[in-house]
Amino acid sequence: MADTVQPGPLHAGAHEGETRRDFLMVAATALVGVGAACAAWPLIDTMNPARDTLAAGAPVEVDVSSVQPGQQIVVLWRSRPIFVARRSPDQLQRLKKIDKGELRDPDSAALQQPPYAKNDVRSVKPELLVLVGICTHLGCIPEFMPDAGGALGTSWQGGYFCPCHGSRYDLAGRVFQNVPAPYNLPVPPYRFVSDTVIRIGENPPDSEFDFNTIEQI
Amino acid sequence: MKRLALLGFLGLAVGAAGLAYAQEEPSVPHQNWSFSGPFGTFDRGALQRGFQVYQEVCANCHSLKLLTYGDLGPTGPGGGIGYTGDQVRALAAQKQVTDGPNDQGEMFQRPARPSDHFVPAFPNDQANRAAHNGALPPDQSLIVKSRGAGLGILFGTSGADYVYAILTGYRDAPANDKLPDGMNYNLYFPGHHIAMPPPLSDDVVNYSDGTKASAQQEAHDVVTFLTWAAEPTMEDRKRTGAKVIIFLLVMTGILYAAKRKIWAKVH
Amino acid sequence: MAAPQAQNKIVRWIDRRLPIFSYLHHELYEYPTPKNLSYWWNFGSLAGLMLIIMIATGIFLAMEYTPNVNLAFDSVERIMRDVNYGWLVRYIHMNGASFFFIVTYIHIFRGLYYGSYKEPRELLWMLGVVILLCMMATAFMGYVLPWGQMSFWGATVITNLFSAIPLVGNAIVTWLWGGFAVDNPTLNRFYALHYLFPFLILGVVMLHVLALHTHGSNNPLGIDRKGPQDSIPFHPYYTVKDMFGVGVFLIIFAVFVFYFPNALGDPANYTRANPLQTPPEIVPEWYFLPFYAMLRSVPDILFIKAKLAGVIAMFSSIFVLFVLPWLDTSPVRSSRFRPVYKWVFWLLVLDVLVLGYVGAHRPEGWYVITGRIATFYYFLHFLILLPLIGIFERPLPLPTSISAAVTKGGGQLAGATVPREKP
Repeated sequence: MADTVQPGPLHAGAHEGETRRDFLMVAATALVGVGAACAAWPLIDTMNPARDTLAAGAPVEVDVSSVQPGQQIVVLWRSRPIFVARRSPDQLQRLKKIDKGELRDPDSAALQQPPYAKNDVRSVKPELLVLVGICTHLGCIPEFMPDAGGALGTSWQGGYFCPCHGSRYDLAGRVFQNVPAPYNLPVPPYRFVSDTVIRIGENPPDSEFDFNTIEQI
Repeated sequence: MKRLALLGFLGLAVGAAGLAYAQEEPSVPHQNWSFSGPFGTFDRGALQRGFQVYQEVCANCHSLKLLTYGDLGPTGPGGGIGYTGDQVRALAAQKQVTDGPNDQGEMFQRPARPSDHFVPAFPNDQANRAAHNGALPPDQSLIVKSRGAGLGILFGTSGADYVYAILTGYRDAPANDKLPDGMNYNLYFPGHHIAMPPPLSDDVVNYSDGTKASAQQEAHDVVTFLTWAAEPTMEDRKRTGAKVIIFLLVMTGILYAAKRKIWAKVH
Repeated sequence: MAAPQAQNKIVRWIDRRLPIFSYLHHELYEYPTPKNLSYWWNFGSLAGLMLIIMIATGIFLAMEYTPNVNLAFDSVERIMRDVNYGWLVRYIHMNGASFFFIVTYIHIFRGLYYGSYKEPRELLWMLGVVILLCMMATAFMGYVLPWGQMSFWGATVITNLFSAIPLVGNAIVTWLWGGFAVDNPTLNRFYALHYLFPFLILGVVMLHVLALHTHGSNNPLGIDRKGPQDSIPFHPYYTVKDMFGVGVFLIIFAVFVFYFPNALGDPANYTRANPLQTPPEIVPEWYFLPFYAMLRSVPDILFIKAKLAGVIAMFSSIFVLFVLPWLDTSPVRSSRFRPVYKWVFWLLVLDVLVLGYVGAHRPEGWYVITGRIATFYYFLHFLILLPLIGIFERPLPLPTSISAAVTKGGGQLAGATVPREKP
C-alpha cells in the first residue's frame, strides 16, 4: 500500500506546467549524465595503447645486405612478423608470368599498401619485398614457397602458402582467386635509409601513409 | 560541533602522519617552486638545466631507471621537458645498452634508443655499493615523492624542499660531533651523518642558457627536474582538476536548487 | 500491492517473468522513508558510491598491474607514467580507499548517536560490522600490492601478529605467507583475494539494504513512523538529496585527488620494498591508526603476553561492535533525548581521535600511557558505561510522532519509546 505522502505528479511526467522545476530537473539530469560520461572516458582510455607500448612500436631498422637472392628473413615490427625477401631476377621473371585473371586484386586496388608500393612488384625497389606476414584470412603466418612447381603443382610460380586454410599469394604478396583470404598481404610503411638498411615503420620523406588505414592486416 | 570533530580528525590524521617524522633535525625550510600550489607548472628552463645537472653530476652514481630517454621529448608524459624528438634520439645514442642474444647466442652492445630506460652508471646495486664503501646511492626516479612529511605535504612540495635542503645543507661538523670516516655532516639529514659528499658547488656545470650556476641555482634546478621525474603528469593533474572541480561546483549548485524545489512542499 | 502497470510492453514482458521493475518501483516510490532525515543520512549512499568507484577503478588498474615482487612496483609506476589517464585512476583508487573509510566511519558514528543499531535493526547493524571487517581486510591487502616499503613492512608486522595465537600461531603465519616470510606467494594471494573481497562486500551490502528496507530507516528523533503523515517516498525526495550530497562529496574528493593526492599516504611507500631494510617508522594508513594504537598499548596481562593481549584487544574492539545492540540498555534510541549518553558519545569520538593520534607515533614516552588510558576507556565505554547509562539515565520526553515534531516543533509527553528488549 502506498502509505506515503505523494509529492505530486513530478515523476509521472510533465502534466503540470511547472516549467521552472522541469528545467531544473532536465538540467540536473543532463549534468549528471555528462559527468558520468566524462568519468567513464578515462577508464576506457586506459585500455588504449599506453605510451610505452606506442614507443615500442617505433620503426625498426634492418640491414638487408646479408639477405641472399631468393632468401627471406622475418623481423618483428609492432609485434607482427614482417617478411623481408630478396627476390632473384628469376623470381621477378616468374612474377610477370602470372595471369592477372588468377588474382583477386592484381592491380592492388584495395588499400593494402602505401602509395609508393602500389605497383606490379608491390615494393620500392623491385628486388626487395617487404610484407606483413599475416594471412588476411584469419591471421596465420604464410609459408615462404619461392620455388616453382613442387607440392603446390606445376603451375605454381612461387609465392606464399598459408597452411591453415590453403590461401595462396604470389611473390608480390597478391592473393589468388578461389582461396579464403580476401586481400593482398599488406605492405608496411618502410624506407631505405641507405642502400643496405631499411627502416620499417617509417615512410619516405615525401609520403604520409598511415598504416592504420589499410583494409585488413 | 560535529563538523569540527570531523575536520579535527582529518586534520589530526594528516598532521599525525607528518608529526610522526618529526625528529631533532631543524625543520626543512620551505622554498619557492614554480610547480607549487594548484596552478603551479614546471619551469621548462629549470627542467632542462636541472637535467643537465643530473646528467653531469648525479648520474655518475644515481640511476634514473623509471624514465626513458623518450620521456624527455614531445611524446613523453606531460609533454616532456621541452626537448625535440631529434635531441632525444641524439641524447639516447650517446649511451650503450646491452641487447641480445644475437643469432650467435651472444649479448652485444648497441646505442640506446628513445624507448630505452636511462642507462644506469652501474650494472646492478651490488656494483654500485662496491664502488661506494657499501652505501647505495638511491635511484632518483621517485626520490622527491618518497621523502618529506609534515604540513608541506599539503602543498605538495615537502619532498622537493627536503631534497633541496639536503643538497644545500652540508656544514662543518660541530665540535661535539663524532663524524665517522668517510661520512659528511649534513644539517637536515636524519642523524646528520650522510655518506654522500656535497655534490654541488658553484659552476660545477656550465649552463648552456647562460644562467649563473651557483650551488643554490643548481640545487633548485636539479630538484625541479627531479620533481618532474617523480611525477611528470603533475601539470595534467592540476589542469584536469580545475575543470573537474568547476564542473562539479556547477552540477552541485543545480542539484541543490533541484533539491530545494522538490523539498519546498515538505518544509 | 503490485506496481501500476508500466506503459512499455517490453518492461511488462520482463517484469512478468522477473519482477525487477515492479520491485524497483516499490523500493523507490512506495517504500516509506521518514520525512525528517538529516544530512547525516547521506553517508550510507556515499559509502555505496565509493564501493562502486573502488570496484570500477580497481578493475581497470588490475588490467595493468603485475603481482610479482620483481615487477609490481614498476607496474604501478608504469600506470602512473605511461598508461593513458593511469595517474588519475590510480590516485582515485588510492584516495578512494581513504574516503571510503571516512564516509563509513561517519555512517557508523551516525548509527551510534541515533541508536540505529537498536531493535529491530540489530541484524542490519551486524551486517554493517561484517562490511567493515571486509573493508579492513580488503584495504590491508590492497596496500601491500604496490610493494613499497610500507606495503612490505606493514604486511610483515600484521601477518606476524597471528603468531601470537597459542599452539597453532606459527603454523598459521607460515600458511598465510606461503613461505618463510612475506614474499611472492604472499603478494600473489593478496592480489587474488583483494580482487575477490569487494564482490563479497557487494553481496553483504545488498543484504544490508534488504535488512534496512524491512523496517525502513531510523531518523534523528529515533521514534518509529506512525503513519503516512510521517513518511515521504524515497523518490524524488531522497534521490535528489542523495545526489546533492554526492555532488558536495565529490568536490571534496576531487580536491584531494587532483591537488593533494599524497596527503593521506606515506612517502615511504614510494620506495621499493627492501626486505633487508626496515623503515624508521612503520605506520599503517590513517584509517587503521586507532586499532594500531590499541594493538601496541596493551601490556602483559596476567599470563597473557603483551603481543597476544594486543591482538585480542584489537579484535575485541570490533567484536564489541557486534554485540552493541545488547550492550546498550536504553529504551530510547536517539541521543537527542539522552542527555547523559550524548556527552559520553562525544567522549568516545574524542577517545578514537586520541587513539588515532597515538597510533601514528612510536610507543614511547607520553604516548604509551595515553594509549593505554584511551584503549581502556574504549572498552569502558562499551562494556560498562553503555549498559549503566541505559539503566540510570532519565531520557527527555519523546515527541508523539515525527510529523508532530516536524510541524509543531515541540516534544510532548509520550509513551512512544522503543520496546525494551525482552530477555
